Amino acid sequence: MIMPLIKGLQITISHMFKKPVTLQYPTERPDVKPGFRGLHALNVSHDKAKCVACYLCPTVCPAKCITVEAGEDQNHDKYAAKYEIDMLRCIFCGYCVEACPVDAIRMTEQFELANYSRADFTYTKDRLLEKK
Amino acid sequence: MVNLTIDGKQVAVEKDATIYDAAKACGIKIPILCHDKKLHPFGGCRMCLVEVEQMKGRLIPACTTPVTEGMIVQTTTDEIVKARKLVLELLLLKHPIDCPVCDAAGDCDLQNLTYEYKVNMNRFVDEKFNHEIDYENPLIERDMNRCIHCGKCARICDEIVSYGAYTFINRGIEAKMGTEFDGPLNCEFCGSCVSVCPVGALNSRPFKFKARWWALQKTKSVCSYCGTGCQLTLGSKDGKVLTTIYDENQGFHNGQLCTRGRFGYQFVNSEKRLTAPLVRKNGKLQEATWEEALAEVTSRLSAGKSDPASVAALATARLTNEELFLFEKLFRGTVGTDNIDHSAGYAHEALTKGALASFGVAASPAEIADIQKSSQLLVVKSDAYETHPVIGFEINLGVKRKGVALRIVSDKKGKLTRLPGAKTTVHAPGSEVALFNALCKSVIDQGLAAEGVAGLDALKAAVADASAEKAGVTAEEIAAIAKEFASAEKGLIILPIGLGYPGHNAALANAAANLAILTGQVGKEGAGLLIMGEKNNSQGAVDMGIYPKATGLNAQGIIDGCTSGNIKTLFVAGENPVVSYPNRKKVEKALENVEFMVVSDLFLTETAALADVVLPACSFAEKSGTFTSLGRRVQNVRKAIPAIGLAKSDFEILNALSQSLGGARYNNQGEVFTEIAATVPAYKGLTQAGLKDEGAVYPVAVAAKLVPAAAKSAAPAAGKLALVTGSALYHCGTMSRFGEGPMYVCPDAYAELNVADAAALKIVEGDQVTVTSGTGAVLVAAKVGKRVPQGVVFSPYHFGEGSVNTITDGSEVTYVTVAKK
Repeated sequence: MIMPLIKGLQITISHMFKKPVTLQYPTERPDVKPGFRGLHALNVSHDKAKCVACYLCPTVCPAKCITVEAGEDQNHDKYAAKYEIDMLRCIFCGYCVEACPVDAIRMTEQFELANYSRADFTYTKDRLLEKK
Repeated sequence: MVNLTIDGKQVAVEKDATIYDAAKACGIKIPILCHDKKLHPFGGCRMCLVEVEQMKGRLIPACTTPVTEGMIVQTTTDEIVKARKLVLELLLLKHPIDCPVCDAAGDCDLQNLTYEYKVNMNRFVDEKFNHEIDYENPLIERDMNRCIHCGKCARICDEIVSYGAYTFINRGIEAKMGTEFDGPLNCEFCGSCVSVCPVGALNSRPFKFKARWWALQKTKSVCSYCGTGCQLTLGSKDGKVLTTIYDENQGFHNGQLCTRGRFGYQFVNSEKRLTAPLVRKNGKLQEATWEEALAEVTSRLSAGKSDPASVAALATARLTNEELFLFEKLFRGTVGTDNIDHSAGYAHEALTKGALASFGVAASPAEIADIQKSSQLLVVKSDAYETHPVIGFEINLGVKRKGVALRIVSDKKGKLTRLPGAKTTVHAPGSEVALFNALCKSVIDQGLAAEGVAGLDALKAAVADASAEKAGVTAEEIAAIAKEFASAEKGLIILPIGLGYPGHNAALANAAANLAILTGQVGKEGAGLLIMGEKNNSQGAVDMGIYPKATGLNAQGIIDGCTSGNIKTLFVAGENPVVSYPNRKKVEKALENVEFMVVSDLFLTETAALADVVLPACSFAEKSGTFTSLGRRVQNVRKAIPAIGLAKSDFEILNALSQSLGGARYNNQGEVFTEIAATVPAYKGLTQAGLKDEGAVYPVAVAAKLVPAAAKSAAPAAGKLALVTGSALYHCGTMSRFGEGPMYVCPDAYAELNVADAAALKIVEGDQVTVTSGTGAVLVAAKVGKRVPQGVVFSPYHFGEGSVNTITDGSEVTYVTVAKK
């Protein structure tokens, strides 16, 4: 009766002196591999989002999490007046990046997306714009 | 018939068919860019190249080559595919690849063909065009950099619309589609060019960047403006109608639309739409619940049941047949009043009294298809084009393609009068009946009357004193018109009716019918009389019996009854009498005076603002049902979007009222149509499902009879101008004011004067002028031109500000003085 308990404790105690096999997150950071599909970012060029609101990403999106509304700027060019991703619906498939004809969207290495309220998971254009 | 073989398939086609038509007939698709089934073959793009066994050695364009007996055609060989790829590569050399921002993407012929033929690289390199893009126009955006020079816009504008706004300008590599002097576009804005453009060179500006083509939900429906009954496809997304989509296979008109149909849909999602019921409390209209509003209406109507003569109801001819049927059943049946009417009473008289007396049916004996089958058209008023623009296109096509002779009798000139070979007779304003009587007399005098016409002697006596002078026309001209119409193989009279034409009443319908009957033109295909109701369901309103049948009051009587206090409860479904009925002051006074008025409408109109209860109704895009167009075609209207706000369709409103008043209750509008088919003789055997996409023309048994029509003698007032009212090309009724498209091009009321009159009065275009009659005075902008003859002023009636009904009183002509403000 007592012997199995001691045996078990022996294993436990021996592990206390070994090197841990898991990544000690969050004190240790993972090494994100190339091609990782994390949070989206809207690319910027000449101080403007590259997105031309062509609606290909919402069209291709299998989770229907992207909302785009086009607008007309002073030069009569098309731009995304509204660009929103509902991160709770997103399945991080990366089709949006693939579909984009103007390289306006990419997926970053950011994977820490936990938040406190549902509303915080709606990523508006401002939040998605790449930070300099 | 000609027999030929296409890709191994045997096919027999008419001898005037092209290889393209023959291939289409046997289901083989030949790619095209510059060809359109409505237009003459052009042969510009070379996409339709095919190989013909008998003409080996070169490739043949399928769209311009007529078929010959025994032809053996190959439509896809390696050589053909190579040639088509080359064509696409050359087009893409200049065409900017801006598909992501081009609204045509998804519906672009060039894009589709490039994809189909896998043109993913280009052997050639060149600079793109750098033409200036026309962003200024509020309706049509022109980006000539995207143009592939198919010429469809110029051809449709010339061949069908007969306006000619576009042409190729410059030569060689600099050639482009231009307007006159390469200036801004200034046309009718029907948008036909936008609809046929195979790429995104011509775009609808109100739809710019609104949605991608593939994201739109497409609903086939019927236009809710004029009575032509054009079919259209509504493009909607997220509960909003965003555009109308062109479908060349829709309706008799092959998808052609006018400016209101194509650009006037914005009223559906207008911010001005009523979204909740309003009830007047302490003298002010305040938002209320449906229960509260309906309870109030129910209590008033059930009180009215004990004294039905004190209840009256006016409906607009824009409602569906089902709603009108229910309306009639509720008020004539459940409430028990005969005081029901629409369109001021006179606007449908030509059908309910005129056609009924002359033909035994309250419908026109002719239908729309007769226009192109005719050999001689006699159009009353050049305005037939303004009131029913797509009928105008039919007339254009008849005249230009089928060699139909065109005669216009009108009080002014108009677009139709400029058609090739069109003969115009400008008569004195308000003398239409006198003119037709004179024509009848002339037919009889010249011995051209058809044999065996009953009642000839009575007519002879009635028109004995008719003369050309009474219509302000020379006797020779009358004799010439009478002769040409009587001797025509197939003569068709076209008569528009509506709120703008008080003179187009029962008498005129009788007089016109007399001429048709007298000359033996009734009962033939392509001949007779086509009475064109103003609104989308004018014919339906007549068929459903929305007019007093026994002792009831007509619309004018109802207005008078409101003034005198005999009418205590008035139900108005969609009508806007304050702006559209004659004598605005009188109407306003009457409606203020009536004890209780309910208005169901899309907007808080001038009339609704006077109501005690306002019920928000649904537009045509938010409900299903049927409309009956002029020429008796019953067509399906389909719901495209959910109701706006708390709005309910008139069907739901009337159904709820009917139920609470102890009348019939229906589960859906389809049940009402079943009852219509069972009770309205003309609709016998029709089902909504059976109407399909094309609709059905219900038959009429015409029993033609000569009915003498008395001409009123208009006494011209010395020194005054004759004011004639009517419709502006861009508007229909008072609803088009809520569509952005029509308001961009025609935002304000105006009075059109002859140059000579304007010079005498020192008025120039754009001046604010006061038009004064015995009834009142109104301030409008002046328009100066040669369209109206000297001594005549024309003003359209649609507008709330400066509404012309302030100065009219319902007579054919109003004599006015015009002075600069």
